[in-house]
Formats: sequence, structure tokens, C-alpha cells
Amino acid sequence: MAQIEVEHLGKTFKVPEREAGLVASIGSLFRRKYRDVRAVDDINFTVEAGEIVGFLGPNGAGKTTTLKMLSGLLHPTAGEARVLGHTPWKREADYLRRISMLMGQRSQLQWDLPAVDSFYMHGAVYDIPKADYQQTLDELVELLAIGPVLKKQVRTLSLGERMKCEICASLLHRPAVLFLDEPTIGVDVEMQARIRSFIGQYNRKHGATIILTSHYMADVTALCKRIIVIDQGQLLFDGSLPALSEKMAPFKVIKIDLDAKCDDYPFAEIGEVISCDDRKVELKVPKAEAAAATAKLLTDLSVLDLTIEDPPIEDVIKQVFGGRAQRDDAETTETAGASA
Amino acid sequence: MSHLLRAFPAFLRVSIQAMLQYRGEILLWCMWGIVNPTVLYVMWSAATRGAPDGKIAGLDQNGFAVYYFFLLIVGHLTAAWDVYNMSYLVRKGQLSPLLLRPILPMWESLSSNLAYKITTLMFAAPMWLVFILITQPSFQTQWWQAGLGMIALLLGAALNYMLCYTVALVAFWTTKLDAVGEIYFGLGMLLGGRMAPVDALPPYLQIASEFLPFKWMFAFPVEVLAGMRDDVHAVTRGLLIQAAWVMLVVLVFRISWHLAVKRYSAVSG
Repeated sequence: MAQIEVEHLGKTFKVPEREAGLVASIGSLFRRKYRDVRAVDDINFTVEAGEIVGFLGPNGAGKTTTLKMLSGLLHPTAGEARVLGHTPWKREADYLRRISMLMGQRSQLQWDLPAVDSFYMHGAVYDIPKADYQQTLDELVELLAIGPVLKKQVRTLSLGERMKCEICASLLHRPAVLFLDEPTIGVDVEMQARIRSFIGQYNRKHGATIILTSHYMADVTALCKRIIVIDQGQLLFDGSLPALSEKMAPFKVIKIDLDAKCDDYPFAEIGEVISCDDRKVELKVPKAEAAAATAKLLTDLSVLDLTIEDPPIEDVIKQVFGGRAQRDDAETTETAGASA
Repeated sequence: MSHLLRAFPAFLRVSIQAMLQYRGEILLWCMWGIVNPTVLYVMWSAATRGAPDGKIAGLDQNGFAVYYFFLLIVGHLTAAWDVYNMSYLVRKGQLSPLLLRPILPMWESLSSNLAYKITTLMFAAPMWLVFILITQPSFQTQWWQAGLGMIALLLGAALNYMLCYTVALVAFWTTKLDAVGEIYFGLGMLLGGRMAPVDALPPYLQIASEFLPFKWMFAFPVEVLAGMRDDVHAVTRGLLIQAAWVMLVVLVFRISWHLAVKRYSAVSG
């Protein structure tokens, strides 16, 4: 059953705009110019109960705006959404009690007090029965290994410790739907892995539906079977990770182990050389030419091992958004040329 | 409602704990609260010595000591500052986590307000005693005035808190609110009888103060507590005006909050 349904959702912000400099500043006092920015533009998707969906896109793509609309923080300018049967921006208390949104760069903890005091307040705000509260807290403290930091002032915690406490606070009321906006931002690699593992465990144990945005592809590949790619407010892709590579990456990676060094072999004529290290070579080859390239390599060289792989998801995403950036640059140059 | 009855004491407990982290700051806020009325008392007290009958607006030196003593207490217990806080929360995007909770952010803010008043009492009360020792006022307050004065004080505090929070919602449109805060506090000083008793103001300002809420927040409770209002009917009428103002502001708040949340654009995250 779909827990999140989004139909033609859109959000346009009216943003004040002016040229740089004092004269423009004075001018803006009398005549203010505004520009409409379509942060989210007619997106549609549904998320089933218990799914973890990775929401990917470059900065300013509209990911956070979408999550804010789904959590009831923002009113959309177009479209509809239903989460757990509620319209999020009506902000009904029954709805807010069943969701949680964790924003990596925003704190919900009392800065000057130990985290355990914030947890206590959270328990009262969400009206969690005392026995349930203690049981959930004990469980989360153990899973997140935050026992030793519970009594330390939040402002004295490291970023990783604080983030784990933020996660604990977000989950105390056992939300059925969880919006995670950059939950591992700024924390070290080891802590990222722990947080990731915890989110996976929580999803399996409680069947929570999770939408996750992250700039760390490791978060996405470890947790999400399904990916939604959004760029310039529009939905570019909705499907599995392998399907993303299939659709978005027009190339394959051929890895070969050679019997002997072949420094003078013209690998560059077959494809783009990613690496050439002693007897190991990695080539990037257009998808349509992968079979022919493989046959040629096997014919020309003494090959011990050969694999054809989809490119790493990081490279696919880089390619998708890099391509967009290049298109933008080209359009800007074209416009500038036309203006001149 | 039962949910609120559980959440509010938790907010209050945590807010008091947070306040107690900074003893120095509590002391400084108390001093800030006592300096302004004390300076004004000294000024008006000196002015009475130059007045023909030793009185200004019906108050002699002792009258001003009594007035400003109660203003110390009323000023402290009716204080509200959300007009500054809200601007910060909206500008820094810190309102978002509060809006995600299934409870109005106002309740947490109110708990901070009460926490401030409770925790600062331990420093403020001795300062009020020092004021009495220095000025040695002679109190004329009768029991009924003290009782109704307490009710007036509670209504004044509720009115100032709700109006301040409602005005603070302008931050959802303008983001910055410092100038609005200054206007609000300026009007409170002038028309609320803090700069001078309302009877000492020019007639047109006295009329304005009747129809604006500031007098009903500060001057009216002070005048009742100081025993300056001896007509029980007039005091009862004043209490009804205060209650009407509170209801009106609550209504305006409910409408404004709905519009403000719709307007919220979650600035900077």
C-alpha cells in the first residue's frame, strides 16, 4: 500500500533579485525586482510502506523543498500529496506524531543541556506513554551506542555524537515515515557507516518508510533499492540502481588482467583509458561498442581475466549532472552570444 | 488538552534547567530590569521637588517611589521578547524543527518566558527589597486592591505575551524584525506608563493610551497595586477591558498563525 503519494507537486518561490553595488541597493529600496524560481516542478511518485527511497540530485535540485512539503513545513504552489492518508501541509497533530524529519544541518536538541533532557521533553511533546518511552530510549541508546554521551551537554558533543543523538530524538516516537535530509553530512567515514547501518536496522525492524537525501553515494547504495533523481525541480528518473546505470550511463567499464605488459598497445583507440597499472587496464567504452571492443581485446591480447561492468553509481550521477552543467554552460554562452 | 498538560510542564522543566546554566546572565538581566525604573524614579522624584505643591500628576515623592516599586515588579513579571526571538528563529531556519512537532511552538516559547521569570526571582526579589530600603515608600494599598491588582498583573502579562508573539509573526513576511521590536517597546515605554505615569502624559497621549493595549499591560496593574485606583467599579471595568484585549489578541493570533505558517518559506534550511 502506498504511504506516500505525490501528484503534480510544485513549489515556486518568489525571490528578490538585484544587481551588485550601492546604486542597485538604493534602487531596490524604491523598486524591488522579483524572479520566480521553480524549486519543484510537477513531480509525481509513490512510495510503498517499508520502502527506503534515495532522493538524488545536485545542490538546488529541489530535494529538500520536496521533503519540506511532504513533512508539512512548506505549502506547495501546485499539486497534491498524501502521506499516511494526510495532506502534510494541513499539519494535523495526528500526522506530525507519525512522521519525523531529520535535517543534518538543523538541531532539535537543547544546546545547553544533556541530550537526555531533550529526549525527556520529546517524550512529553509526542505524548509517548512512559513505559514505551523508556523501552524505546533504551533500545535506541544501545543501537546507536550513545550511552556514554547521554549526560554530556549537547554543545560539547562531536558532530558524529550529536548526529546520533539527533537520530535518537527523531525516532523516539517510532515514526512510520521518516524523511532524512543529509543524515550523515559532515561526519567521518566510520560514523557514516554506523549511522547507515542503524537506519537499515530501523527500517527492517519497524517497517518504516524512509526517503533519504544524501551527497554520499555510499549511503544510497547501502540503503536504497530504489532511486529518484531530481534536477532543476523535475523528476529525471525513478527506478532501481541498476536501472539507473542502464538508463543514464551510456558506457560500460571493461576491466582486463593481462598475461604480460602491453605498454605499446593502442588502448585509447578502443575506449577511454581509466587506469593502466602494470598488467591491469580499465577502459570506458560506449555501451553499443562494448561487445566489439571485448572481442578485439580478446583477439589481440593474451588476457587472463576480463569483466564488463556498469560504471560506479557515483560516475553515473556525475555524468548525469555534469552533462546538465555543460548544457547550462552552453546555453549561457549561446545566450550571451545572442545578446552581444 | 491532556497532551498539553503533559508537554507544558516538560517544556517548563527543561527551560528552567537551560536558564540555570547561566547564573551570570540571570544576574545581568535582573540588573537590566531594575536600572530603567530606578533611573526614572530618581528623575521624577527630583522633578517633584521643583513642582509648586511637590506633586506631579497627583504623585508626590512617596507616590513615585510606590509607583516605580510596583513597576519594577510588573515590568519583570509581564516581560515578553518574542518579537526579537522570532526574527532570529525565522532568519536562521531554526523554526523548522519546532514546526515539525505536533504542538504549537508558542507553548515552548511561553515556557521559556515563565522559566526566565521564575529563575530570575532569586536575584530580582533582593533587588526590589534594596529599592524599598533606599526609597522607603509608604504603601497605601488596601487588600481588595492587592487582590484585584494580582489579577490585573496576570492579565497584563498574558496580554503583553500574546501581543508580542502575534506581532512577532510579522517575521514570517519580513524576516527581520528588529525595527518592529523597537517600535513595540517604545510604545510600551511611552503609553504603558513606564516612562512616566499615564496621568503625566499630554491629554492626546492619555486618550491614545485608553484605546491602545499598552496601558492595560503595565500602567493599569501598577496603578491598582499601588492603591492609586480606589473606585472598585473602575477597577472591575479595567479588568474587563484587559480580558477583552486578551481575547481579541488570541483571535488575531489564531488567524495570523494560520497565514504565517502558510507563508513560511523555511529560510536557510
